[in-house]
Amino acid sequence: MARMKFLCDAERCIECNACVTACKNENNIPWGVNRRRVVTINDGSPGERSMSVACMHCSDAPCAAVCPVDCFYTTDDGVVLHDKDICIGCGYCFYACPFGAPQFPSDGAFGSRGKMDKCTFCAGGPEEDNSPAEYQKYGSNRLSQGKLPLCAEMCSTHALLAGDGDTVSNIFRERVTWRGSSGISWGWGVAYGKPGQRSARGVDNKATGGD
Amino acid sequence: MRMSIKPASVERRLCAGVFLAFLLGLLGLAPLPGGVAMAADKVQTELAGKPNNPGAELWRDVRQRDTQIKGVTQVEGMDAGVLININGERWRRFRMEQLIPAVGVALGGVLGLILLFHLVKRGVPIAAGLSGKYLHRFKEIDRLLHWTVALVFIFLALTGLILLTGRVILIPLLGPELFATLASASKEGHNLFGPLFLVGVIGLFIRFVSKNFLRKGDIGWLFKGGGFFAGKHPSAGFFNMGEKIWFWLVILVGLVVSATGLILEFPFFGQDRSLMELALVLHGVGAALLIAGSFGHIYVGTAGMPGSLSSMTTGYVDLNWARQHHNLWAEECESRDEVLSKSEFERSRGETPLGDRPEPLTRGDG
Repeated sequence: MARMKFLCDAERCIECNACVTACKNENNIPWGVNRRRVVTINDGSPGERSMSVACMHCSDAPCAAVCPVDCFYTTDDGVVLHDKDICIGCGYCFYACPFGAPQFPSDGAFGSRGKMDKCTFCAGGPEEDNSPAEYQKYGSNRLSQGKLPLCAEMCSTHALLAGDGDTVSNIFRERVTWRGSSGISWGWGVAYGKPGQRSARGVDNKATGGD
Repeated sequence: MRMSIKPASVERRLCAGVFLAFLLGLLGLAPLPGGVAMAADKVQTELAGKPNNPGAELWRDVRQRDTQIKGVTQVEGMDAGVLININGERWRRFRMEQLIPAVGVALGGVLGLILLFHLVKRGVPIAAGLSGKYLHRFKEIDRLLHWTVALVFIFLALTGLILLTGRVILIPLLGPELFATLASASKEGHNLFGPLFLVGVIGLFIRFVSKNFLRKGDIGWLFKGGGFFAGKHPSAGFFNMGEKIWFWLVILVGLVVSATGLILEFPFFGQDRSLMELALVLHGVGAALLIAGSFGHIYVGTAGMPGSLSSMTTGYVDLNWARQHHNLWAEECESRDEVLSKSEFERSRGETPLGDRPEPLTRGDG
């Protein structure tokens, strides 16, 4: 059985925020909620790196551990989902999550938290697959249609990878191998490989992240 | 299966050894990349000795918290720029592995001790029996305040305990759907009535603080355990040391619990996640202290010391109860001639219709 994982290649991420926009659009996410965000460390200085962050679908998910109503569950594909009919909007998952993934729409009086919303790996929720109720609460269910999350599919530099953990790590391992670890490894040729290198390795036009 | 693990680990060790040798070789032999112009000298000097990928270095620092993990992001939201929430796992471990079991043990333990005490000692009855004479102890407003705070507190304690321990205790009984309804109602109710508790605590402080300063003899009372377990009852004024400890616990811990509660209830004043995690820790520990204390308070106010409860229901206590537990106060009242006979007591209780209620016969001392 596949074990779904995200991986963001920080050598490639150019902080274009297309993943954030694609996610918002595909899943019809309300104002104030961002299931995915791009964080840039050392912004503006040499060595700046950006990374796209969302729910990482942990194996031992802290959100699921602390939830007072136990509304989280893990699918057979290793995707961590939650049931909005059970969620009470307490915010504990947000305190426990290492990645700041759980988000809360402001709801009702005094700006109290509504039901939690987070990345579903484009896998919907407990409702029937691709039903209007599922779409309304959780957004798109691309996984059931055999498609991967749109954020990764839209990534213009293929920095953000999504899919089975083995496949994703194979792609990343191959990239790391051709980048090497000598001196200063950054820049276009490092991130994408020089044309000669790529054809010599025979990785052109193969499904290894598109480059 | 054991056989297959061993060779793998040996192989891994071998690999690590080869890799280490390779790294050492690189450090010793690799020429400094002097020809490559770097934008910042600082980065260059950092890189000179470390022929590694600067990106890899950065993420290692991020993972080991050696670098600033707050970055820049286009997304607006609480701590959106923070890449890794460093307190999340600690908070999770505290809540799930320490707080919830400790609250269970503490509250169960206090209840058990009280039950044991009651079974062995049968409480502390009025030694001289009821005298049939009365002293006025608490005014109406004080009793109203007490019961308002008491009701709000019990409601908050119950709803809080449902949220804290319901997953362990109630989900197996009710099922997740029914419990979710209960938990949701508990959360809303807790948030709605929580601020009222703060008002109550402030009210209690204003009404009772003057009687709760440390007086001569209070420490002695404490050392003798209030005469609760054995020996002669040590002397005490209007409030004894036990009541004073409870008062200051309610005020101080009550303020902490209220303040942290407000931090959690209104998450839009710019308070960040770390503060809210800390607030939840203090809120839980403080509330557990108050609930454990309230068990003792309720016990000595009811079955533990017969004659106590009437001070908060009718406002009057029996003279012999006062002489036993608050002898200094009782003597004061007697010297001021404030002791009521049974008929006076009944009249002042308002047996007559509300319209022509008589003036209270004594100046209330509450």
